[in-house]
Amino acid sequence: MKPEALDLQARMDALRPGNASKHLDFFGKLLVDNREMTIWDHDTRLLPAGARIWRRRARDFARRYIRPDALRADSQPREYDPGPIVSQAARKGFQTLLLALPLGTAFPGSYFLKSASFQVAVVAEEFAVESGGIALLLMAHHLGCAPLLMSGHVPTILRHLLPLYARTLRGRPEIMAFAITEPGAGSDVEETEGGAEARLVTTARQVDGGFVINGRKCFISDGAIADKVTLFAKLQGEGLESWTCFLIEKGMEGYSIGRQEHKLGQRAADASELILDDVRVPQRNVVGRLRSGWANNRNVLNYSRPVVGAMALGHARGAFERALEFCRSTVLGGKRLIDYQDVQIELADMIVKLWSARALIWHSCSQFRCYQSASAAAKVAASDISFEVCTRAMEIMGDYGYLENHGAESLWRDSRLTQIYEGTNQINRLAVIEHQWAEISGRCGG
Amino acid sequence: MDLSLYAREGEQEFVELTRSFVRKSVQPMFGGDAPDGNLDMVPSILDTAFEVGLAASPCSGMPGFEYGIWGTSADNPTGVRISATLLWAVAEACAGIAMNLHVQGLASRVITSSKGGLPDPPARVAIALQEGHALPGYRTLLGKGGGPDEGIGTRALSAKTGWVITGSKSFVYGMEGPDAFLVFCRIAGNQGGEKLGCLLVPAGATGLEVRDVGGRTGIRACGLSHLVLNEVKVASEHHLSSRDAFPLMGQAVCLHWLGISAMAAGNASGALKAAREYAATRYQGGAMIGEHPAVRKLLALSEARVEAALALLLQTAGFACGNTDFLRRCAIAKLMTTDWAFSAVTDALQVFGGYGYMEDYGMEKRLRDAVVLKTAAGSRNYLETFISDAGREDIR
Ligand SMILES: Cc1cc2nc3c(=O)[nH]c(=O)nc-3n(C[C@H](O)[C@H](O)[C@H](O)COP(=O)(O)OP(=O)(O)OC[C@H]3O[C@@H](n4cnc5c(N)ncnc54)[C@H](O)[C@@H]3O)c2cc1C
Repeated sequence: MKPEALDLQARMDALRPGNASKHLDFFGKLLVDNREMTIWDHDTRLLPAGARIWRRRARDFARRYIRPDALRADSQPREYDPGPIVSQAARKGFQTLLLALPLGTAFPGSYFLKSASFQVAVVAEEFAVESGGIALLLMAHHLGCAPLLMSGHVPTILRHLLPLYARTLRGRPEIMAFAITEPGAGSDVEETEGGAEARLVTTARQVDGGFVINGRKCFISDGAIADKVTLFAKLQGEGLESWTCFLIEKGMEGYSIGRQEHKLGQRAADASELILDDVRVPQRNVVGRLRSGWANNRNVLNYSRPVVGAMALGHARGAFERALEFCRSTVLGGKRLIDYQDVQIELADMIVKLWSARALIWHSCSQFRCYQSASAAAKVAASDISFEVCTRAMEIMGDYGYLENHGAESLWRDSRLTQIYEGTNQINRLAVIEHQWAEISGRCGG
Repeated sequence: MDLSLYAREGEQEFVELTRSFVRKSVQPMFGGDAPDGNLDMVPSILDTAFEVGLAASPCSGMPGFEYGIWGTSADNPTGVRISATLLWAVAEACAGIAMNLHVQGLASRVITSSKGGLPDPPARVAIALQEGHALPGYRTLLGKGGGPDEGIGTRALSAKTGWVITGSKSFVYGMEGPDAFLVFCRIAGNQGGEKLGCLLVPAGATGLEVRDVGGRTGIRACGLSHLVLNEVKVASEHHLSSRDAFPLMGQAVCLHWLGISAMAAGNASGALKAAREYAATRYQGGAMIGEHPAVRKLLALSEARVEAALALLLQTAGFACGNTDFLRRCAIAKLMTTDWAFSAVTDALQVFGGYGYMEDYGMEKRLRDAVVLKTAAGSRNYLETFISDAGREDIR
């Protein structure tokens, strides 16, 4: 039949790429990918086998266990009991991902070909789609474990990390938290120049058989529920360069939880003040070498910032999915919202942004060692994109966007935090420059 | 941002009165733990607003009848400008309180500017402009639009002693427990066909169901509900104007957008002030953070956006009149100012670092309010379509 003879709809059908490519030769057809597949499936196929498995497991877990708790955990965080979700996550292997099998649960291929963070980041995105607070509750644990691993100190790993993982795998999970921030030093403990002038209060004094620590930490995620905390303190009479990491355990005399913050989002995880009043810490709880804390902390941030980026991405994807559902089910002027071109452009913009964030996040943790500039760049890009996409998702839903039962607004609140913690996005931008300084200042060329 | 600089001669006293109201009545809301302030205080704050004449009233004997926000004096560019300025000043402290005064003013304005008015108007009125997902589109507001899908499906049928209304309205902001709602609905015209009517529905009317919308992100000091009208009977004297009410609704929508713009900018201005103060007291990186270019950049951009919002707001108010171009201009003002204000607030919050995320500093509330003002009563998509429709109409 000649084209003129076809009606408009039939002509459009014939012109759609899926049908048009039938006219190509065999090899031409081989080069065309017209499969109807979700972005999620496309991206999952890009992953090495191990990470692919974790991505699928994480999505299933998030839908099955996190989704039903999300609203309650956000609206009544103080009543929310984290125990069941932590146990469930541990049982499924999500809490032991910082080590490869058989010591932990990460798959060795993705662990060594990519980085220790890669599989954690893949999981973080899926969890954060359902609830920022529960995602943080589960992910802050990895941050707490990271200094044990990043210290590179074999006795520390043997003494603390392996037994912790073994207990978790045997069904007795423990929660870890990570404590660097102090009331007078937030950005200063994330950045070199500020660090040199930081006003720190948390101090360790060497005594027989260990240390006595005094001071305060604030905003510590999971601080109130953690069984153990990797906590950084300066040595008495010295500055930040003496920073040393200590493993503080619940029940140590003089250690208590102070104020618990009321925050805009990510509410299921507490943000707490830790008070150290003459806390006696045995020598065996010194993580790594004395004075290695600053280097350890900086490297932990290199490995955790891609994960924060992934959480940000998850919030944005969650908000996008809710907006999409709204646009599918809302009819205006006789058409569904998704059938309007301006809405399609808006949705496409969101997809483009989500995809670019994921690409950078995966890139930033795709080699064995995570490095400062790429990790910081991924965190900045993903969190800025996340907040923008979440805001747009709310907007596209009109007034319904700001109602709590439509889901997007809580992810929007969750998302805003990712521009602040693990170093504000301003400090992370400075981290990009610091790491690439040789290139930027022209000392090394390409 | 010193509002007095923008107030013209004769307007200063209104600004001063508002400031004093904010200081004495609104600010005390924020002493305690509650993230949105002590909401139990809202009724008494609004009582004071009526007493001092800041809240407009449709009753001619009340203090705010003429000079309250959107009172009868707001029938020219100067009056509109003053009302917008006052809303800004209140929203600097609390956008939710400002929203109460704004909506009360809108309803009063519609009642007092309708031909004939009402014989015995109620004191507290809310106004229902929206149905379903969005406000009516541009052509509908001009009275040229088509069917119910385009924004107004609620209908009133003529009955023996008045009207019987059936339909629904969504996202109706207003003081808690208003005496009545103003409802726009389609009614049969004298020469056949349909026209728009505006009817006053007493809050206790049989068949009227006021549904709470449930939890929401911000502007929590102001009530928000959906209305379901199931054969609600309204007396004929509660029909506001025998003429087509599209111009009344158009005027209300214009002022609604302008008011939201003013509140968004005021809220942002408050956030900026707080961020400046914080930047002068927080030590980090070897200096007060206000010394760091990264923070100065945040503050500068925030300030530029607040100024831009104010400029557009005042410029738009200067065009206030009944013509349709004012609708287009107000839509542009709402689109841009709420966006700038939102960015200004989020930048100001960033200056606080982690403290900005916590309820204690009030910045997270400002962000929540900012996003609601950006999204409410005309989202970005809606406004873009509206502006483009208005432009096309011009060409036609
Ligand atoms: C909910 C939440 C959870 C958290 N969880 C943890 C946790 O588990 N463990 C932990 O240790 N910490 C945690 N933090 C702390 C977080 O990492 C810090 O809040 C963050 O690093 C910023 O520090 P700050 O809040 O003190 O802000 P500040 O450092 O006071 O920053 C204020 C502003 O000044 C800017 N600024 C500061 N210094 C400089 C400079 N030198 N140059 C340019 N600009 C500068 C910042 O960018 C920011 O805009 C958490 C914080 C929050 C809010």
